[in-house]
Amino acid sequence: MTLSAYQRFKHAIRWWLLRRLPTCKQTVKVISESMERRLSLRERVTVKLHLWICLWCVWYLEHLQLMRDTIRSKASQEPNLESSSLPPLSSEARERIKLSLSQQRD
Amino acid sequence: MSAPPRTPQSQPPDFSAWVDQHGDYLYKYAIFRLRDGSAAEDCVQETFLAALKAYRGFEGRGSERTWLVGILKHKVTDHFRRVTREAPIGETEGEQFEHNEFFTRTDEWTNHWNADHAPSEWHATPEELVERTDFWNVLNNCLSPLPTRTASAFTLREVDGLTSEQICEALNITVNNLWVMLHRARLHLRNCLEINWFTKETTN
Repeated sequence: MTLSAYQRFKHAIRWWLLRRLPTCKQTVKVISESMERRLSLRERVTVKLHLWICLWCVWYLEHLQLMRDTIRSKASQEPNLESSSLPPLSSEARERIKLSLSQQRD
Repeated sequence: MSAPPRTPQSQPPDFSAWVDQHGDYLYKYAIFRLRDGSAAEDCVQETFLAALKAYRGFEGRGSERTWLVGILKHKVTDHFRRVTREAPIGETEGEQFEHNEFFTRTDEWTNHWNADHAPSEWHATPEELVERTDFWNVLNNCLSPLPTRTASAFTLREVDGLTSEQICEALNITVNNLWVMLHRARLHLRNCLEINWFTKETTN
């Protein structure tokens, strides 16, 4: 009984907060900027509060960090995408480059 | 001519062999960042020409390939500078990647996540994702629909780890422009990677 009253209280607080805090749409933009600059105190507090009540945005933040960490560590192992199926240099371009090199040397 | 680097007594290197050895590698590097085949070819060509001229300065420090990539990096940045001077990036470029539909709801919680597009839990570590052999392909495919320069800004930031200042200078944009572009790229990519890396697996 007390638990359920507590749950209802918590729910009410969350609802009340979410009504007053920046929306998810605004928050994801600030989350992205947090990877580029130091947030203001006000931004840090509102994002923290938003994350306290919104699991989707928590995951959003986690995913951005995971993307950054993964890309950076992959890029340090293999900076030039050898394993990718990006197209190779076409044979015409290859010949053109060789030609311009030989002209340059003469 | 002064002594060439790695084989001090021999002739200068065979540059046409260099094109065969390193051409594809440099081209992949350039096209991933520029997202434009002919611009990438031009940059590779300029790189080899600059290498031919600067060869005496190379003096065998490190590998040829690393040296060539170092030149190519500058050529790629020069290219961005040139095109963004000709056609500056407007505020509206890539506006559709604000992905308003992610935040469209019919109830009173508009501008909060729509459950159909909201993030789900990934249960993955960077180590697991790095192991995936389709890694660069998935990333490249997800970047493709973005405006060229938005995708390039993301690549320079996350793959090359350039600072905001360096990217703003190369792309001739303000730091606010850059943050908007990076935000759009991340919003789009996160969703695309979730679909390609996670949803597919669970439904298979």
